[in-house]
Amino acid sequence: MAYPMQIALQNASSPLMEELLHFHDHALMVILLISTSVFYMITMTLTTKLTHINATDAPITETVWTILPSIILVTIALPSLQILYLMDEINNPFLTIKALGHQWYWSYEYTDYKDLSFDSYMILTKELKNGHFRLLEVDHRMIVPTKSPIRILVSAEDVLHSWAVPSLGVKIDAVPGRLNQTTISTHLPGLFYGQCSEICGANHSFMPIVIEAVPISHFEDWSWATTQ
Amino acid sequence: MSFKLSEFFDVRKIPCARESILYGAAGSLALGLGHFLATSRVKRSCDFGVGGFILTTLGCWFYCRYNNAKLRIQQRTIEEGIKNKFLYESSQFAPERENISNQGSSP
Repeated sequence: MAYPMQIALQNASSPLMEELLHFHDHALMVILLISTSVFYMITMTLTTKLTHINATDAPITETVWTILPSIILVTIALPSLQILYLMDEINNPFLTIKALGHQWYWSYEYTDYKDLSFDSYMILTKELKNGHFRLLEVDHRMIVPTKSPIRILVSAEDVLHSWAVPSLGVKIDAVPGRLNQTTISTHLPGLFYGQCSEICGANHSFMPIVIEAVPISHFEDWSWATTQ
Repeated sequence: MSFKLSEFFDVRKIPCARESILYGAAGSLALGLGHFLATSRVKRSCDFGVGGFILTTLGCWFYCRYNNAKLRIQQRTIEEGIKNKFLYESSQFAPERENISNQGSSP
């Protein structure tokens, strides 16, 4: 869940997002140290009283400032590639849900169940209850079971949209005529908010996504009650 | 210690960040001060100080993150094992039964 004036990443609610956060922290530490050294070197260069107008070659310096950045890039690239391939792993999803983007709402279809589909419209500000979040709440949340890999098939009915839930580390484009696939897995029950992330018209900012993760027994009760 | 360099780099929240920065500061002080006491060269001591900060921070960071990563993997293995134990208890897939059958089949 985002908080006011936040500029960092949200807390992780899925194992994949945890890995992304760890990598982000690692990359940020490396960047901090590089920035410190560059800032120091620039300061020293600008404040030195030494002058050398005949410097023609510096083989050792050139070797060092080629090899060292290569090593730094490798230390950043290796975990990055590891996560990249981890994101594409197929892990036998228990459930498939289709998320379809419309102007300007999402619809969800649980095709594993008979006749389980619904639209998800944003709740208007004047209709919000106490404790609800402005521009984030919807009338029908996407209910998913916890601790279960779930396949999400994302598409759109009219223009480009993007189905994004930052705390799960998911952002996937909804392209008309195309099915994009991703897998999500939440390890804790709760509410996870997201918003459309591809400009799609006047109400692009007003078509949020809310995932409600519940224990599997509650999910079964809900799916049974909804299909009756 | 409670400071944050920015919203992104909150040393309170990032695992290993606080220890790395603290050790880095200590290493920087030790190297810089030690070099100055030995040579009385201010600018070169500053270079050593900054270099010491970077190397010490980086070293602590990698060491701590590596140990954290090992712990995370162990934690996930244990969670998976506990889940499998509950799921397959008293069934043919129970881990205890596999161990017993492996022991029984070994000469």
